[in-house]
Amino acid sequence: MTVIAKTATKISGAVMVIGGGVAGVQTALDLTELGYKVYLIEKSGAIGGVMARLDKTFPTNDCSLCILAPKLVEAGRDPNIEILTLAELVDLQGEPGNFTATIKKQPRYIDEEICTGCGQCTLFCLKQIGNDFNENMEINHAAHIDYSQAVPTSYYIDAKACLKLNHDSCGLCAVACQAGAIRFDDTEKELEISVGAVILAPGFGRVSDEVMAKYGLGKFQDVITAFEHERLMCASGPTGGEILRISDRKHPKKIAFLQCIGSRDETCGNNYCSSVCCMYAIKQATLAREHDPDCEITLFYMDVRTHGKGFDAARKRAVEEGKFRVIYARPPRVEDVFGGGLLLTWATEDGKHHYEKFDMVVLSQGLEAPDEADKLAQAAGIDLNEYLFAETDTYTPLATSRPGVYVIGPFRGRKDIPDSVTQGGGAAALCAGQLAPARSSETVKAVFPEERDISQEEPRIGVFVCHCGINIGGVVNVPEVAEYAKTLPNVAYASANMYSCSQDAQRVLTETIQEHKLNRLVVAACTPRTHEPLFQATLREAGLNRSLFEMANIRDQCSWVHIHEPERATQKAKDAVRMAVAKACHLTALEEMQLPVTPSALVIGGGLAGMTAALTIADQGFDVALIERGTQLGGKALLLTADRRDNDPRQAVQAVIDRVNGHPHITVHTEAQVTACSGYVGNFTTTVESKDASELIHHGVTILATGGNPYQPTQYSYGSSPKIVTQLELEQRFIDHQGSLKIAKRTVMIQCVGSRDEDLTYCSRVCCGQALKNALRLKALQQEMQIIVLYRDMRAYGFMEDDYRKARQLGVIFTRYSLERKPEVSVDSDAVKVRYFDPLLGEDLETEADLLALSTGIVPEDPSVLAKMLKVPVTAEKFFLEAHVKLQPVDLPVDGTYVCGLAHSPRSMDETVAQAQAAAGRACHPLAKGSVTPAPIVSQIDAEQCIGCGACESFCPYKAINISKDDNGKRKARTITASCKGCGVCAARCPTMAIDMGRFTLNGIMAQIHAFGEEEKEVVEA
Amino acid sequence: MSDYQPKILGFLCNWCCYTAADSAGVGRYQYPPSLRVVRMMCTGRLDPSFPLEGLVNGADAVFVGGCHPGECHYIDGNYHALVSAALVHEALERIGISKDRFLIDWASAAEGPNFVKIITRFTERVAELGPLGQAEGIEREKLRQRLIEAAEVAKNRKIRTNLISASKEMVKNGDFSRPAIAGLVAAKCDKNLTQMLGGRPV
Repeated sequence: MTVIAKTATKISGAVMVIGGGVAGVQTALDLTELGYKVYLIEKSGAIGGVMARLDKTFPTNDCSLCILAPKLVEAGRDPNIEILTLAELVDLQGEPGNFTATIKKQPRYIDEEICTGCGQCTLFCLKQIGNDFNENMEINHAAHIDYSQAVPTSYYIDAKACLKLNHDSCGLCAVACQAGAIRFDDTEKELEISVGAVILAPGFGRVSDEVMAKYGLGKFQDVITAFEHERLMCASGPTGGEILRISDRKHPKKIAFLQCIGSRDETCGNNYCSSVCCMYAIKQATLAREHDPDCEITLFYMDVRTHGKGFDAARKRAVEEGKFRVIYARPPRVEDVFGGGLLLTWATEDGKHHYEKFDMVVLSQGLEAPDEADKLAQAAGIDLNEYLFAETDTYTPLATSRPGVYVIGPFRGRKDIPDSVTQGGGAAALCAGQLAPARSSETVKAVFPEERDISQEEPRIGVFVCHCGINIGGVVNVPEVAEYAKTLPNVAYASANMYSCSQDAQRVLTETIQEHKLNRLVVAACTPRTHEPLFQATLREAGLNRSLFEMANIRDQCSWVHIHEPERATQKAKDAVRMAVAKACHLTALEEMQLPVTPSALVIGGGLAGMTAALTIADQGFDVALIERGTQLGGKALLLTADRRDNDPRQAVQAVIDRVNGHPHITVHTEAQVTACSGYVGNFTTTVESKDASELIHHGVTILATGGNPYQPTQYSYGSSPKIVTQLELEQRFIDHQGSLKIAKRTVMIQCVGSRDEDLTYCSRVCCGQALKNALRLKALQQEMQIIVLYRDMRAYGFMEDDYRKARQLGVIFTRYSLERKPEVSVDSDAVKVRYFDPLLGEDLETEADLLALSTGIVPEDPSVLAKMLKVPVTAEKFFLEAHVKLQPVDLPVDGTYVCGLAHSPRSMDETVAQAQAAAGRACHPLAKGSVTPAPIVSQIDAEQCIGCGACESFCPYKAINISKDDNGKRKARTITASCKGCGVCAARCPTMAIDMGRFTLNGIMAQIHAFGEEEKEVVEA
Repeated sequence: MSDYQPKILGFLCNWCCYTAADSAGVGRYQYPPSLRVVRMMCTGRLDPSFPLEGLVNGADAVFVGGCHPGECHYIDGNYHALVSAALVHEALERIGISKDRFLIDWASAAEGPNFVKIITRFTERVAELGPLGQAEGIEREKLRQRLIEAAEVAKNRKIRTNLISASKEMVKNGDFSRPAIAGLVAAKCDKNLTQMLGGRPV
C-alpha cells in the first residue's frame, strides 16, 4: 500500500501554458505568484500575441502595447517562467498532476542567451521578407525581431527565407553580429517536460482571405481588413501612424466599416458571433476620426453588440462625438466603379435600396478557432465543438474534457482582452488548487548575500559606461565619457565596457564593487525601464541595497536619436552621467519591508460568484469566511430553471452549495453583514454582525461578490395582468404552471425593459440570451405558438447566435424597435394588447398577447456602504470599478481587494464562474507568498514638519496616507507603506514639503537640477 | 546665432513620456540634442518649484512630459501636474519671462514619433526666444534673481495651500481642461502671488 501511495502521489509543481498572448502571459505570471514553475510555449518568435499588434484597446482607447509591454518584460525575466519560442505541443501523456508533454522547438539560428538585441543582423541581412507584424504592409528581413519591444529581446532568422540556410550564401549577419550569437547549425529539438497541469491559450485564428474576397479583399487595394487598419493607425505601423489608402497613399475622406465579415455567416460555416468586432470597429472609427476630423465615417451593422462593461456608454459617446453614420444593413459585396471609389449597395430595414461610393472599406474580420486547433486538440487530448473551439461546460467553464487540462482566452469561444485576462487568472487558480501539495516545489528563489550597511560611508560611486556594441559606441565617444565620469565628485571608479548587461559583465560589476568598496552604482547604458532590475539584482549580489542604483540613459534617449551629431550626443551623454552621479550621491539604502500576511480570505456574498471564489481559495488550502446576508447560500442563480443547453442550473448550484457547506476550510456566516473594515493588504480586520453575535474576523484579502437584483419594471403595464411577467417569472412558470404556457397562442417578448437608456443606462448583457432560451423552451412546449420578440439589438454574442438562428428557423418573429418608437402595452379587462411599429411595413401593428414577457435588466446590489468602508471606487452605474479595465479586471484599486460576479458587471453563469475563479486566484497571490513587499519608493513623512492639513490624504489615489493623532494629540499624516505606489502627488501638494519619496527624493532631484546647470556655469566662467 | 542650441531640462514620467522617449530611440527617430532628462515615477510628483529651479540653474526652457489626460498610470497624477504647471506659468508671467519657456505635454508610451515632434517643436520655439532673458530683454543675472524669488514662492506654504484648494476644486468640478485648471490656480493664488511677485502684466 505505502509503495503505491508513494509512486501515485508524486505531483508536479510545474504547469505548461500553450500560447504567449495576453491570456497566456497573464496566467503564467499568476502561476509563478502562486508558487508554480511555468513552461510558456509560444508558436511564434516572441510572446505578446495579437494584443501587441493593436494600436489602442477599447473601451478606453489606451495604448495597447504600453499596458502589455511591462507584463512581457516581467514574464521574460521571471526565473520561474521558461519561455520556449517557435515551439508547439505535439503530445501529452499521463495523468493530472503528472503529465509528460512533448514539445517540438524550431531553431531560431540566433542564440537567445547571447543576442543583445542590437539589430545589426537585420541591418546587414540581404533577404527581404514581408513584415508579418505589420500585416505584410512593409518589408522586414530574414534576420529580424517581430517588434521592438518583443520578449525575448532576441532576433531570429526566418529559416524559409535565409540565403545562408537555403543557398549557403550571404552569412553577413554572422559577420555583423559583434556578440557572436549567430548559429547557422542550430537544429529542431524535441523536448519532454514533466508538468502537473496544462493551460491552453492558443488565441484565435482569422476568417480566411477567401471569405473576405467576396468583399473585394485582394481585388481592390483600398479594401482592407480591420487588422491592417489597426496597423495603419499605429505610430509604429507601416505608415508611421497615418491612415492612408494603399492605392494612392492619400487620406481617405469616406470610410465604411463592414461588420460581421465571416461571422454570423452560415455560408462560411461560422454561424457564431465573434463578439469583439462591433466594439473594435467603434474604436477604429473613433481613432480614424482623431486622425482626420473631416472624414465621413459610416458603420454598417446587423446588430450593435456592445454588451461589455462600459461599452454602450463608450459607443454612444463615440457615435455622437465622432458624428458617425450607423446603418443597420449588411452590404453583400464591394464593387469597383468607373472613376475610382468603392461602391456599396445595401437594403435597409424599411426595404429600401441604397448605393454609395467610399474611398476605403474596412472589413471587420471575424475570429475563428486558432489555426491547427484540431492538431492541438489531438496533441492535448481534448474535445472540440462543431466550430473547432474547445468544448467546455457552463459550470466548469475553464476545464476541458480532459482533467488537468484547462482552456482560456478565445480558444474557449471568442472574447475580448479583459475576459481573456480574467480567465488566465481563473485557470491559474484552478491549477494551484489541483497541484496544491506541490506548491513551491519547483520554483526557485534567488538567494542574496547580506546587505552591507553603508549609512556611515562617504559616497563611493562606480560608473560603468556601456558601448552596447556600436549602438552607443558608434555615436557617443564612450571612453571620453568614462574619463569624464572619473572627474566627477564622489566617483571612485569609472570604466567603459562593451555590453554591461551580458552575463559576463555582471560578474565584473560584482567584483569591481567589492574590490573598490563602491557603495553606489551608476550605469550609463540603455534604459532603466528594461534593465534596472537586472543591475539591481547584480547590486544585491554584490551585497548592496537595490536602491543604491541609478541609470543614465545614453542609448535610447541619446545615441539612437542623435545619430548624425556625435559631438553633441557625447556632450549629452556626459550631462546625463553628471546628473545621474549627482543623484546617486543622495541615494540611501531603502528597507524592503516584508509585511506578514494573514493566510485567509473574506468573501462577501454567498451567490454563485462568492461560493465559487470561496471554493477556489479553500481548495488551495487557505481558510475562507463566507458572508451571506440572506438565510441561505445560492443567490440569484437559483431563480433560473434552465440554461441554454437545457440543464437545470439549480442542481448545479445546489452541488456548489453542498461543497461549500462541507468544505473544511470554509466557514459560512448566513444572515450576516459586514459593519466595519480596517487594515490593508495582508492584514485586514472586519466586523461581521449576524443575528445574535458580532464577530471580528482577521483576514489577508477581501473578495466582493455582493451580486445584483432583477430590475423591477413599472412600465408596459407590468403588474396589471397575470399575463404580463418578467423573464425570471417566466422561468418559474415553466416549473409551476407549464399548463398555462401550453395553451398560450401568442407570446410577445420586449427586450431592454429598463436597460440601455431607460432607468439603467447600461446593457444587462444576459437578457437577449435569456429571451432566446425561453423562446426556444416555449417552442419546445408548443410548436404552434406564435412568438414575437421586440428588440433593439439582438445581442446573441458568441455561440448564442446559434440559438438566435434556431429561433428564427422555428418561426420566432424578431422586430426591431427604436427608442423613439417604443412598443405600447394596454390591458383591457382580460386582454393584453401590444402595439408596435413594424419597420418593413412602415406602420403600427397591434396584437393581442396571451403572454407578455418583459426582459428586464440587472441592478447591482447597492455598493455604497461597502465601497466607503473599503475605500474602493464604484462606477456611475453602481458597479465596483476595477483597478485596470484591461489588465486587472478583477482587482480593485485598493490592494488586497477583488471583485467578481454581478457586483462587477452583468454577466452569464459561465462568465461569473470564470471571473470568480480569477478573483480567487488573484486573492491567493499574497496568501501564497505569505508576505507582501511594497516597492520602497514610497512616501516618507517628516512628522516635525507635518501640519496635519490632510491634503495628502485627500489626494492620494490609493488611500495610502492616513491622518491620525500622535501621542500629543496632534494631527499627523502617516504613510501606509503597503498601499503606497510611489506616485508622489502627496509630496508635490504638501504645503510644508514635509513629504519625500524613496529614490526620487527632493534632494536627489534638486541635485540633478543643479548638476544639469554645472556644465553651463563652467563654460560661462571660462 | 545659427549654432545656438537651447538647453532644455525635461521631467518625464516613467510610464508614458519616458517610455515614449525610449521608443523614439528604438525607432531611431531623430530630434535635436537639446533635452536633458530627469525621470520621475509620475508627473504628479512635479513640485512647482522644480521647473523654476531648472531655469535658475541654466535651462533656457523646461519641459514636463506625462501620460495623456485620463491615462495616468496612477489615476490622476497628471492633473495635479497641470495644477503645478499653472502656477509655474503664472509665476513666469509675473516676473516677465515668456510662458513659452515652460511646456507641459503628453506622449503615451507608444508615441515615440509624437514625443519627437513635441521636443523638436519646443526646441525650435525656444531657439526663437534665444537664451533665457534675450527675448524678455532682461539682463540674465537680474532674471536669475527674480527666478530664485519665484522658486522660493513656489515652496511657500501660503501659495501651496492655495494650490491645494485649486486641486480640490478641480477634483470636485471634474473639469480637467487646461483653461479650467489655469483659471482655478490663478483665482486661488492671485492675491498671494501679487503680494510676493507683483501683479500680472497687463
